[in-house]
Amino acid sequence: MTSSYYGRDEEVVQRLRPEPMTAEEEAAQAGIEDIDFDIFRHKMHMIALEGKETTMKLGASTAMRWGDVAFGIFTAQGDLAICATGIYHHAVLGQIPIKYIVKHWRDEPSVGVRDGDAFFYNDPFYGGVHAADMGLAIPVFAGNRLICFVGAAVHTGECGGTEPGGTVQNAKSKYYEGLQMPPIKVGEKYALREDLLNMFAAMNRDPRTMILDLKARLAAARIVQRRILALVNEKGADFVIGALRRVLKVTGEAARQKIAALNDGVYRQPRFLDMVGSEPGLTRINLTVIKKGDRLTLDLTGSSPMLHDKPLNSFFQGLIGLAMVYFCGWFFHDLPANNGLLEAVDWKFPDDSLVNAKGEVSTSLAPVVQSYFAHAMFLCGARMVYSSDPKRAVAAWFSGFAIPIYAGVNQAGEPVADITPEINATGAGGRSDMDGVDGAGAFFATVSDCSDVEATEADRPVVYLFRNFFNGSYGHGKYRGGAGAGIGLMVHHVPWLAMGSMGAGAHFPSTLGLFGGNAVPPTFVQTVDGSNMKALMRANDSPIARSLAEVYSAMNPEQGERKFNDIDMVVRPRLNGDTSYISVSGGGGYGDPIEREPAAVLRDLKFGRTTAWAAQNIYHVVYDPDSLRLDEAATTARRQEVRQHRIARGRPYDEFMAEWRKLTPPKDILKYYGSYPDPEAGFAPQALPKAVNM
Amino acid sequence: MKIRITEYLDIDLAAETWCCHGCGQKFGNARDNYKKGLLIAERPLEEVHQPLVTGEQFSFKPDPDYCRLIELYCPNCGALIDNEYLPPGHPLTHDIELDIDALKQKHGI
Repeated sequence: MTSSYYGRDEEVVQRLRPEPMTAEEEAAQAGIEDIDFDIFRHKMHMIALEGKETTMKLGASTAMRWGDVAFGIFTAQGDLAICATGIYHHAVLGQIPIKYIVKHWRDEPSVGVRDGDAFFYNDPFYGGVHAADMGLAIPVFAGNRLICFVGAAVHTGECGGTEPGGTVQNAKSKYYEGLQMPPIKVGEKYALREDLLNMFAAMNRDPRTMILDLKARLAAARIVQRRILALVNEKGADFVIGALRRVLKVTGEAARQKIAALNDGVYRQPRFLDMVGSEPGLTRINLTVIKKGDRLTLDLTGSSPMLHDKPLNSFFQGLIGLAMVYFCGWFFHDLPANNGLLEAVDWKFPDDSLVNAKGEVSTSLAPVVQSYFAHAMFLCGARMVYSSDPKRAVAAWFSGFAIPIYAGVNQAGEPVADITPEINATGAGGRSDMDGVDGAGAFFATVSDCSDVEATEADRPVVYLFRNFFNGSYGHGKYRGGAGAGIGLMVHHVPWLAMGSMGAGAHFPSTLGLFGGNAVPPTFVQTVDGSNMKALMRANDSPIARSLAEVYSAMNPEQGERKFNDIDMVVRPRLNGDTSYISVSGGGGYGDPIEREPAAVLRDLKFGRTTAWAAQNIYHVVYDPDSLRLDEAATTARRQEVRQHRIARGRPYDEFMAEWRKLTPPKDILKYYGSYPDPEAGFAPQALPKAVNM
Repeated sequence: MKIRITEYLDIDLAAETWCCHGCGQKFGNARDNYKKGLLIAERPLEEVHQPLVTGEQFSFKPDPDYCRLIELYCPNCGALIDNEYLPPGHPLTHDIELDIDALKQKHGI
C-alpha cells in the first residue's frame, strides 16, 4: 500500500470541496466556448440521467428499483461535477471513495487504476452514511488518459449485520453491522471478479439482490462510459476534462453570489431524537447557521455526546452530505448540483459528539441522525430565505424513517431481506403559498417512487391490507403538510417472516412545522400476533379496516394479541397471518392553522384528507356536518374568539420562563443526552470507555 | 421602513424593533430575541395532536415526558407568531439573530 498504514484515512474524508485545479484542467479552459459549455452541461446531465434510469431498471433492491439512486460523473481527481438524482447525499459523498481510489490505488502496483476496472465500496466512513449504502465506480479512460470517474450509489437492503435488513438497532460497535468494504477493485479488464462476488454473496442474507444490485451499478456505469467516450471523440479529451472542471468553478461562484444576497445573521434550530436504537432516550442535535457575506457556516456545537455502544451516531461527512440534499434540492435549487456548492460553506463539528463519530462506534442509524439534522437545515434555511424569496421557505418533509424491515424466505423459496418502498411515500412540507404535496416522495430522494403494491407483493411474502393517505399523518397549518401513507401488512404465503421497523419519532415528533405550523404526529407500529384477519377475509361478512383511521376505530373487527411498538422495532418472527400497521408520515405544517382558508379545510374533509375533529378543533371552522356548507360569519367569530383566548392564556416571557425553567424530563430518558439542557455544559454521561471493541 | 422577515414578523429598521406583520404591534429591540416581546403559553398536547388510542404507550400524541408544545402569540392581535416543540424546561430557541447594522446598510438606512 503506497499510503502508510492499514487504517482509516482521516485526511481524504475532509476533501468534500473541489480539489485545486490541475494544470491540465487549467490549460483546457481556454478552448471552451460558452455555448459549447452550456450544451455540454445539458448533455452530461442527460447521460447521467440515463445512468440513473439504467441502474433502476436493472437493480433488485427496493431502493434501487424505486429510485433512491444517485448517479454521478466525477472529475479525474474525484470531484462530483454532474449528477442525476434526488438522493444528492449519495452523489456528493460518492466522491470520497473515488478520491480514496485516486490517492491510494492509482499508483499502487498491486492494485492500480486501469481501463476496464470497477471499484466497490460500502464502508460508511467513506460512503458517509451506513453500511447498507453501497456504491460502485469505474474510471473512464480515453487511450491512456484518465478522463473522469462515473458511478452509482444506492441503498441495498441487506449487508449481513447481526440484524437483517440493513440496519442494526442493537449494534454496540461497527462490528455488528456486517460488510464494511473500503474501496476495493472488484473488476478488471471489463470483467467482474467472480471470487469476490462469491464472497459478497456469502456475507449477505439476500445474495441475489446483493449481486444484482452490484451488477446493475456496473452496467449503468458502462453505458455512461460509452456515452462519455462518444463525447470525447466528438469534442476532444481536453474539452471534456476542462468542462467538467468548469462546472465546479461556475457553481461555486454562483453559490457565493446567492448567499451574499441573503440577510447576514445567525439562525438556530435544535432537534431532539427520542431513541438511541432499540432503547428510547433523548438526545439533541444542535444546529447554528451563521450567514456572513458570501459564506455559510454550519456549527453543530451543543449536540449530544457520541454514543459509544449505540448505533445512533453519524460521521460528520454524512451530515454535510445531507446538507447538500437541502442545498441542491431547495436552497440552491436553480444551480447545478455538485460539490462546487460547498465552496461557499464551512462547518464546525465538536469532538465527542454523535454527529462526529470516531473510532469503532456504530453508525448503523446514521440516516436518522442525518435526516434530523437536514430538518434543522430546512428550518434555518426557511428563516434565512423568507425575507428575499418567501416561496422557498418550506416546512420539512417527513423525516423519512418509519420503515418496515423484513427478512426471510419468500413465496418462491428465495431469501429476501429489505425494506418496504413506502420510504418514498411521505408528505412534503407546507410552504408559503401552498400545501405540501400528498405522498410526495422522500425529502432525501425526491426523484423516487413507492412501487405498486402488486409489484411489492409479487416477490415479497406479504399482502397489503391497505395503503392509502392517512389523514392523521401530517402537521396542520395555514398550509398543511402533505399527507403520508398509512399501511397495513399481513404475512402471507410463508410460515413466518422476520419483521421490524426502523425510524424515530414515536415519543417526540420527528418532523416540525414552520412559522407556527404543527409538527407531524408521532408514529409507531401496531402489531397483531395471532390475528384473525385471514378468517375475516375468508368469511367476508364484516368490514375489515381499509385505512389507519379505521384500524383505530371502535368498529375494527380484528382480534389477536395487539401490541403498540416503538417505531424503532427490532425484527422478530411474525407468523403467517400476523399483521402490522404503520404511518409513514406526512410533512410539517406552515403558518397559523386558523389562517387556513375554510374552503380548503372543507375540501380536505370532503376528500378524507382531514378529520372533523381537526376541522373543528385545529382549524376552528364552523360548518354544517351533513352538507359541509361553511358558516362564514360563525367561523370568523370563532377564530376571533381563539385569538382572544390566546391573549388571555399567554404569559409575558419572564413570567413564563420562571415556571418553565423548573421543568425537566425524567432522568431515565436523559441517560444519553449529556448534561441538560446543554449537553456540553457538564458531565460525560456514559460509563463505557471511549474505545470499545465488542 | 419595514422589512418582512417571516410570515408573521417584520423589522422596523429605523426604529430597530420587531413588529407583528399583521397588526404592527412592536415586540422590542430587533437586536434581541423577538420572543421576549410575545405572550407565551404551553399548549396541552391533546388539543393539537388527537390521540387515536387510549391506555397505550403510543397514541399519535407526543409523550409529555419528552416533548411539550410552546406557542408564542402577538400580545395585541393574538396571531400565532411561532411555536416550539421542546423537552420540558428546555430554553426557547433564539432562532433568528440578524445583523441589524448590515441589514440597515443593505437597505440604505
